[in-house]
Amino acid sequence: MKLPLSRIGMVCPYGWDTPGGVQIHIKELAEHFISLGHYVSVIAPVSDESLVTEPWLVSAGRPLAVPFNGSVARVAFGPVATSRVRQWIAGNEFDLLHLHQPEVPSLSLIACWSAEGPMVGTFHTAAAKQRTLVAAGPILEPIIEKLTARIAVSEMARETLREHFETDAVVIPNGLSTSKYSTAQRRDEWSKDQTIGFLGRYEEPRKGLSVLLEALPLLVKKNPNLRILVAGPGDSEKVLKTVPISIRSRIIFLGRLSESEKADFLKSVTVYVAPNTGGESFGIILTEAMAAGATIVASDIPAFAEVLQSGEYGSLFISENSQSLATVIDGLLKNQEKRKELSKSGIEGADKYDWKNVAAQISGVYEMALASGPGVTLASENRPWKRFRANE
Amino acid sequence: MSKYLIIIFILLLFAWYLSFSATRLDRLHHRVETSWEHLDALLQRRAALALEIAHQNDLDPAMDMLLTASAYESREAAMADRNEAESLLSESLKLIRESVSAGEIHIKVAFLDRLSDITEKIRVAISIHLEAVAAVENLRSKRIFQVFHLAGRAKLPFHYSFEDDQL
Repeated sequence: MKLPLSRIGMVCPYGWDTPGGVQIHIKELAEHFISLGHYVSVIAPVSDESLVTEPWLVSAGRPLAVPFNGSVARVAFGPVATSRVRQWIAGNEFDLLHLHQPEVPSLSLIACWSAEGPMVGTFHTAAAKQRTLVAAGPILEPIIEKLTARIAVSEMARETLREHFETDAVVIPNGLSTSKYSTAQRRDEWSKDQTIGFLGRYEEPRKGLSVLLEALPLLVKKNPNLRILVAGPGDSEKVLKTVPISIRSRIIFLGRLSESEKADFLKSVTVYVAPNTGGESFGIILTEAMAAGATIVASDIPAFAEVLQSGEYGSLFISENSQSLATVIDGLLKNQEKRKELSKSGIEGADKYDWKNVAAQISGVYEMALASGPGVTLASENRPWKRFRANE
Repeated sequence: MSKYLIIIFILLLFAWYLSFSATRLDRLHHRVETSWEHLDALLQRRAALALEIAHQNDLDPAMDMLLTASAYESREAAMADRNEAESLLSESLKLIRESVSAGEIHIKVAFLDRLSDITEKIRVAISIHLEAVAAVENLRSKRIFQVFHLAGRAKLPFHYSFEDDQL
């Protein structure tokens, strides 16, 4: 049985024009379902509507920067956002709503509150007991309860959900287009001699660049031609000051890379290192690196260990332990056979995360949700007294 | 005067809360029903598929009988016996799949694909249904729902205990 052609509404809680994993996930999911012939409309906060190129995107107003959950989230709420969400629901006659991150105070929560009918929620966050969520529990619970089905992007996210809301979820990982990575080009400037690649906003401590830098002196001593390539936005001067002068010339900052450059980068480097110290729910970057055929070295935080199948698709080191990191990288630099083997099994393992497989699982959940009712309406149109009048 | 106004306000607020809670519970009851209907349909389809497999493949008579019997069982079982019947069918199908992967018997690939497809769906449906049942039970155990009889005459949802680890 296939999912019948449906009208699907997706809600993105974060500013559409700021790059982020959730936004990319929604964009690719929407494009995939459109390519299958479904009608899809996405509503999101947008700060500059003239820059939006997607015809299926609806703006819910400008996002506000709000400190939430340890970082700054660009969300939208208030009367304007609420009325835009309600208009969007009322005007589109959706068969189904797909709400992303409904536990964040933003559009998804508003949509969940105002709508009635088949609704699927996806939970992206993984974190230990959060005080904000525990405090907001009594408010959130009756709202989140309306979801027909829940999806968690990883076992960690599922655990978080269970801890905070006493509900369970189906685990479906984030998707990616493996073809974009398998067709990447190896570039000389990134692959000459031996290179170690790092990717991400390197000033954030949880991305773990400092762990890699601490491991450097040892690595450089053993591998004289080694270069470190750091890609991502940030202030390179500040980082360089923390490293001994003798090895500063080994570190090259590339700045922010485009999507296709990122794929080339992952394909080119000898070893790709993800030393994140925590706060990751699902290592989407690792699945991308796997698809590109990179040799991966990652910290053994639960999310990464899950994606890498405890070392099958890449090597793990003890998180925040630069000694352990240096040993693992050094071992791989000297062992070309092992590198080839990891790269090959990584490409095979990444297929599981390709959109064609991930979207099939998601449409299974959609099907399930669609069975629960005839379509999405505004909850306010369904009050008992209104129903009573309609029966007259 | 204002004292009475406050009391009236509080009473109104409380009445609203009761109605809100009753709506909430009603919605959950509805969810349990629809998720069960969906799961039930899937289980029926699985039983039908099991019968097809039994009829169209040259299984040995014992296996054929086991499969046919457990498929019939799960189609005919009364609500109360449903658990056992479905678990039995799960086990028989598991046996079939194990024999296939061990190369002992041969089943058309189309059947195997359909079987693994439907098994995956059933697994998701079970988790969604059990989740809805747990939410109803959780809510109805709260005091306010018992004291004010907010569940009305709705029966407590039947607690199925499918063994989805066997699927």
